[in-house]
Amino acid sequence: MIISPSKFCKTFLKSRSEIIFLLGSILTSFGILLVTVGGSWDITNHLLSKPETFFSPPHALMYSGVAISLLGVITCFIGWNNLQKFKNSYFLSFKIKLIGIGLLTGAGPLDFLWHSYFGLDGLLSPPHFTLITGMFLCSIGGMIGISRYLKFNNCSPTVKYLLVLAIIPVWLSTSGIISSLSLPFSSTDFFEFNPEPTIAFVIASLAYPFLISLSLTLIFRLSNYQFGIMSILGGLFLLIYSSTAIVPNFAMFDTIQFYSLNLIPFIIADIFLKINKSKLSQFFVGGLLGSVFYMVYYPYVMYTYNEVLLGKLVSPSLIYFVYFELIQSVLIYTLIPASAMGILGIIISVKLSKKILMI
Amino acid sequence: MSINVNKFLIYLSGFVLLSLYFLLTIFILPSEFLMTEQLIPEPYFQSTLSDSQINLGDSFRLDIVSINNGDYADIHIVSVAFPDLFEIDDVVKIATYDFSLSPSYISIGDEIGSTYSGGIETTFAQYPSIEAMSRPLKSDVETHLDVIVTPKTSGIFNIYVKSIGIPHTSDVSHYPYSGILDHQNEHVLVYSVTVNP
Repeated sequence: MIISPSKFCKTFLKSRSEIIFLLGSILTSFGILLVTVGGSWDITNHLLSKPETFFSPPHALMYSGVAISLLGVITCFIGWNNLQKFKNSYFLSFKIKLIGIGLLTGAGPLDFLWHSYFGLDGLLSPPHFTLITGMFLCSIGGMIGISRYLKFNNCSPTVKYLLVLAIIPVWLSTSGIISSLSLPFSSTDFFEFNPEPTIAFVIASLAYPFLISLSLTLIFRLSNYQFGIMSILGGLFLLIYSSTAIVPNFAMFDTIQFYSLNLIPFIIADIFLKINKSKLSQFFVGGLLGSVFYMVYYPYVMYTYNEVLLGKLVSPSLIYFVYFELIQSVLIYTLIPASAMGILGIIISVKLSKKILMI
Repeated sequence: MSINVNKFLIYLSGFVLLSLYFLLTIFILPSEFLMTEQLIPEPYFQSTLSDSQINLGDSFRLDIVSINNGDYADIHIVSVAFPDLFEIDDVVKIATYDFSLSPSYISIGDEIGSTYSGGIETTFAQYPSIEAMSRPLKSDVETHLDVIVTPKTSGIFNIYVKSIGIPHTSDVSHYPYSGILDHQNEHVLVYSVTVNP
């Protein structure tokens, strides 16, 4: 019996549709990871005023990321369209990715138009916010797709490390949204989009701690309490942040040792939740993860607090001086609310993980 | 029993590590880093006027060679101001320019930084100027700014020149160190050319 190529293709797609959908989700998440890494690197280059052309390495990374995400969403569509089971369960992931990639690709021409009319824009501008929202939605769609695949197929613990790739773009793109709404990098000749300093102070103090705790405890739950996964996710975040925000600025290079210490609370959180999953232990971990936000978001978070507490001029070589000058004051003001937001993050992660895994 | 002892030891180690973490990140390392010496850029420049006297309608040239004699500067600025002009218009043309950022033209009424504050304190420009900037500028690197000036009126034509390094961490982070103060409350060297009718 001879099978025609088109029939073979259809049969292949139908038999492998779920894995194709997973591949699409992985590509989408990986693409967004590249965009966020490129974005963070680009911010550092702008702060250092490094001469750059359109073809700078950070831009190349960002645009490659967008292309990979687009390819990922197309792959997801092919996979989803041929799904024999779980079609409804994967629809949410596909729908969110589709909206996200629409915003992400639409932000490019919008950014071009904005630049044509208003020149250089700051961190927060309508095209940039469209871009970051698109990144956020794509990463959420990727996370849901990967998590559900792992759950439905009862995957082995080793495969569950894919969750790190699913969560890290969500963490980084949400950090991008919070940074846009709290960092004073958005004042241009045409528009003053800098957030009001006190509001920015409140946003940073509440949102960053919540996000750290939510991201780390969410991966812990999605992986069915896999030991070590929180440390790997936290470590990867620190690695990305240090290589894009600290290493490129030679004046801050020595502070790497300070920044690397942040791995300690992540490992302790991992160990404590491994040996004790009681509510008290969870609340302690949530509070701990929330309380370290000023250290984890070194160095740029300092700009938000400097606006309210010091008002100093911060040139690139002075970043860590001002950061360390502020550290104790910031912790006095933020320790309690940040810990509370960390606890809230762990509570929300319970509900969110149930929704993602459809329990 | 031994399980409880093990758990206790893990908790104890965890709390000790956390105490160490907070001690290091909040108290010990910040004070160590704050004790390190801040970078002190030392800008300096030499200017050469092509003529001290010209006839109305003729041009003269001011060549400025600036250098950072100190530590790495985040920003190195050379400012050339024209207190006798209302606008730069076609009176001043840039002939040579090798700073890393494009020159910025400041007009009367623009809000500008003052007192070497890097923009924390501001004032309003009383006369036009041109600011040349390199971001950053390493030690011992020269930058050049040459302007050709064609005055439209006779009399004394003054030019104020100064250079500032950022971070402005010392009294040597600007040049000249003393002398006449300009509209930004910052010291300048004055170059004058007599324009004969």
